[in-house]
Amino acid sequence: MSGISKRYGAVRAIRNADLDVEAGTVHALVGENGAGKSTLIKILSGAERADTGSIEFNGAPVSITSAQDAIKLGIATVYQEPQLFSELTVSENIFLGRELRKGGRIDWAAQNAKVVELLELLGLPRRYATAVVGDLSIAEQQQVSIAKALAGDATVLILDEPSAILTDAEIEVLFGVVRRLTSTGVSVIYISHRLDELFQIAETVTVMRDGATLGTWPISELTVRSIVEKMVGGILTENEGARTVDQSLTPRLELSDLGRRGRFHDVNVAVRPGEIVALYGLVGSGVSEIAACIYGIDSYDSGSILLDGAAVSPRSPRHAQKLGIGLLPANRKAQGMFSFQSIAFNISAGHLPLFGGFAGWMERAKERSVARDLIKRLAVKTPSEKQPIGAMSGGNAQKVVLARQLVERPGVLVLAEPTQGVDVGAKEEIHRIITELADEGTAVLVVTSDLPEALRIADRVQVVRGGTTTDEFGPDATQVEVLAAAAGDTSEGAA
Amino acid sequence: MSAPTVSGPPPTPAGERRKVTERQRILPSPVTGQELVLIGVIAVLWIVLWLSTPAFLTANSLQPLLGAVAPIAVIGIGMTIVIITGGIDISVSGIIMVCAVVVAKTLVDYETSIWVVLLMSIGIGALLGLINGLLIAYGRVHAIIITFGTTNIFQWLGLQIFGGNTVSGIPDTLATFGNGAAGRTWGVPHAFAITVVLAAIAWWYLRHTAGGRHYFAIGGDPVAARLAGVRVRPRIASAYVLTGLLAGLGACFLVAQSSTLAQNVGTGKELAVIAAVVIGGTSIMGGRGSVLGTLLGALLVQTVSSGVTQLGWPSQLSDLFVGIAIIVAVGADLIRERARRRAR
Amino acid sequence: MSAPVDDQQTGTPDPAPTPATARGSENSLGGRLIRALLTQRIVLLVVLIVAVVVTFMIMGAGDYLTSPFDSDSMSAALINAVPLAMLGLAELIVILSGRGGIDLSVGANVSLSGMVFGLAYAQWGLPLWLAILLAVVCGGVLGLVNGYLVAYLGFPALIATLATYYAYKSLAVVINNQRPISSPEISQLYNSTARSIELPVIGSQLPDVPRGIFLFLIPTIVVMWLLLARTTFGRRSYAIGTNDVAARWSAIDVKSTRLWAYVISGLICGLVAVVTVGQFASARPDAGTAGNGMALPAITIAVLGGVAITGGIGRVAGVVLATVLIVWLNDGILKAFEGNDGSQYQLLALGVVLVFAALLNGVATRRYGGTQ
Repeated sequence: MSGISKRYGAVRAIRNADLDVEAGTVHALVGENGAGKSTLIKILSGAERADTGSIEFNGAPVSITSAQDAIKLGIATVYQEPQLFSELTVSENIFLGRELRKGGRIDWAAQNAKVVELLELLGLPRRYATAVVGDLSIAEQQQVSIAKALAGDATVLILDEPSAILTDAEIEVLFGVVRRLTSTGVSVIYISHRLDELFQIAETVTVMRDGATLGTWPISELTVRSIVEKMVGGILTENEGARTVDQSLTPRLELSDLGRRGRFHDVNVAVRPGEIVALYGLVGSGVSEIAACIYGIDSYDSGSILLDGAAVSPRSPRHAQKLGIGLLPANRKAQGMFSFQSIAFNISAGHLPLFGGFAGWMERAKERSVARDLIKRLAVKTPSEKQPIGAMSGGNAQKVVLARQLVERPGVLVLAEPTQGVDVGAKEEIHRIITELADEGTAVLVVTSDLPEALRIADRVQVVRGGTTTDEFGPDATQVEVLAAAAGDTSEGAA
Repeated sequence: MSAPTVSGPPPTPAGERRKVTERQRILPSPVTGQELVLIGVIAVLWIVLWLSTPAFLTANSLQPLLGAVAPIAVIGIGMTIVIITGGIDISVSGIIMVCAVVVAKTLVDYETSIWVVLLMSIGIGALLGLINGLLIAYGRVHAIIITFGTTNIFQWLGLQIFGGNTVSGIPDTLATFGNGAAGRTWGVPHAFAITVVLAAIAWWYLRHTAGGRHYFAIGGDPVAARLAGVRVRPRIASAYVLTGLLAGLGACFLVAQSSTLAQNVGTGKELAVIAAVVIGGTSIMGGRGSVLGTLLGALLVQTVSSGVTQLGWPSQLSDLFVGIAIIVAVGADLIRERARRRAR
Repeated sequence: MSAPVDDQQTGTPDPAPTPATARGSENSLGGRLIRALLTQRIVLLVVLIVAVVVTFMIMGAGDYLTSPFDSDSMSAALINAVPLAMLGLAELIVILSGRGGIDLSVGANVSLSGMVFGLAYAQWGLPLWLAILLAVVCGGVLGLVNGYLVAYLGFPALIATLATYYAYKSLAVVINNQRPISSPEISQLYNSTARSIELPVIGSQLPDVPRGIFLFLIPTIVVMWLLLARTTFGRRSYAIGTNDVAARWSAIDVKSTRLWAYVISGLICGLVAVVTVGQFASARPDAGTAGNGMALPAITIAVLGGVAITGGIGRVAGVVLATVLIVWLNDGILKAFEGNDGSQYQLLALGVVLVFAALLNGVATRRYGGTQ
């Protein structure tokens, strides 16, 4: 691939990206969130079309305009989320839409024979060929999607963060598969955030930053630290001035050895009044599940949550709210927005008891004035509070969902991915709001996988890796240090 | 100000693998747990009924039972497929009515052979099913709304053809599907035998052909199915055509049972069919289901209702047991699903 | 049942969908009218009602009808609107609550609650107010069973209410050995529900209106409107119907809100049971389940009134207008045909209007990004 560019409206997702993958090698593609890796992969797999640039395959120029084109060329992609039919068997999933037929019926024997071959290659038991996919674990399902990709006789296999949801043992199996594949001449493009594992598997590394490819290096010339430096670039993260927090105060929120089986364990973090602490972890580190526990959505089975030094156990979001905890959910559309309802509806929805008068009578004047206040305060761009939130841009909608948390000033505010899918301008404003809230005494915990954001607004950054809190950094830490810690640079230790 | 680094065992998102029988099979078990339970329940009911009223296990009692199962079960085959695709068809009551009255009137007014009326009924049923199918697959409207609407339209059509309140004096041309001696071979009602054969064919088709498996894929995730190369819309439409076609056949079975036909011939049948399908373990959310289960579901419902009569209880009490059966069957399914999700 | 799949992508900056910024040609008066017709169900219904009334009045004037279609007959026809609109409102609140919400058991609930009312009033000799209260409580408890199955045990609503439909229908028949209950007291009820009365003060200028409208329908409409549009419960209902996950993350008690939707549907059924007993002048065990039953027309009315089957969208006014439309349309059709033919054409009209409205929704979604 050379000179690939892609725009989404005004946003330039990638510009002049080059990628050369040699046959029979494992080629790692790394970069920070939003660096353009997924877009590049989508173009290669036919899910998106490039605006400019060309793709050559085995030396001949090709045009990939649809997923079918890519599959015909032998380019197969395994995405993070397994896209499988849970009620169908493994064999059926692998051959759906291209069943092997014999006289009108599916040739189960031939199909299963092929599937068993693939399963053995992947180290899965033969009997799984006829197991219903819904009965398998998530990790096994992912291996099934790899098998599905391989069934089309792929010569290029793209693995998008395959290790994020796998355990160490399962990763070993995956690596075995990848090595066996490359020995048969298949090229593998391997995307991962866990940089330490690249040294076990990859031969060459291409680093992307801000939509461009910086270059390609043999892995032998690199270390985790040098990769991180390339990913982050020379950009200095300017922290928003000095914010001093009296560390002798009792933490407003403290998580002590918090754990939920199979998700995370021994999570320790403390947030004092007026402090902004970031919980930073890469995809799959377990960081996203922690917020749900603090807010009483999920339960935890070990450790404790302390508010102002006293142990509490939020049973439900309503209970958490009563305890003075507010939460901005990570997935705006699925967890945050009532899309065809008005802005005022979306703001008041989280605090209905506050607006309920006698017999639950809705105090609409109060609702209107609260909504207008928050619209003004958060600089939401809208003609009125009656507009439906579904028609707004990502940044504006996010501000409305954030406004919902500010109706009753919470003592603790947990913000999960506060600026995901938000344009730069709105991002700035949301950061400003967060800082203001902290200045007014709120304890803010930002759960994020966006490192520049974490470093920029937080007074302290707590790294989550492998389901637990590992290292802590102050505001003067560099991106390189933090990323190296989160991505598993075990050689040098952390700050 | 570095926090203490805590190390512990890595999280294990992967649940324990469940024990599956070691023998390599070509396909998962042909009979699901739900079906085994249904067979067990039906067997227990039959034994209990036989013990309380020995007359139950005689040809005189079982033949009408099987005869009554036939129309519900045969339409249930189509409904099962519709529900597997994630849809529903409320309009079968209307289709039954139209087909039944056309058949009855034709038999009364013309001397025709059984084949003519059978083909006519099936053809009309398929046509009405096609209307549903096209509106649902291409109109992008939820199946329940479209079929609510077409129910009314089909009923109007049926009433128009009816003219009077009943059609009486229907000749016994269709006796071979009826409850009389002409309707049985070796004691088995033909209508029931045909139903079993059709169910077997449908079972084989759904299990062993690409087309059959595609219904399940569509019910699981229509978008992903389309991306995998499944022709989603024609396939959805085909499910409704099939249901209409089978409703036409079921209408013939119903007409054959009596020499008069009343306007309420189809009333409530849509719910009876849906009840048989969900008791049989087909998920109303789509993606999972079995024709064999539907057959057993219909058999269970009819066993209950004839059992209630045999025991001398008010016949309407059987509906109470049908309601309970639905709750128990679907409840068991919900519990299994939850256990399965937790085991993962 | 799988609803049309929405793209739930979140990672990329979402381009603002532009339903509001329509193309230039649509800013003309005609364009705006078409847009309003397509996206505002209320506007469409009002236009249809006007069209129906005008058509039949012209037909009446031209002597094409068997009896006149005028303000008197229009107001007399409204008696049919009482159970229909009330059950339409019951379906409104249930469908609104989302997750495939639907109540197939309303007709059976009406039958059973009606029998309980009949027993209480005619056989146990309870005072009228207590008997009505008992019927309403009975309806509420039956609704509670539905709500518990759906909201707390996770049954799909279609299945839970199909099961209770069978159970309630059966109990209604068995409870009094398949016999209807009638007594002089119950016959008296006809006067208080179905008979038309002259409105006080200005009544002489206006047609007489069936009493049931004032005693049952209007109070139900007002309460339901207040409940949905003016209380926090209404907000919670719309919230769980629009996005039940977001509602949970917004500290709304999703389960209890959904439970209450089914309970309210049941309470309305209890009231309708009393109306129906009055209308028939006896408590009949198959009052709500005979023929097509009451559930199918009620769901049809709700959908026609603009209630989205996927939840979160629907208004009391839409359901009321849809009922008025259907009742007057039915009345006119009945008079347009000799004998019994008209009742058949009512089915055709209902079916065509429903399919047409549903397809229109599809068009509106594709063109303007949704209906209100």
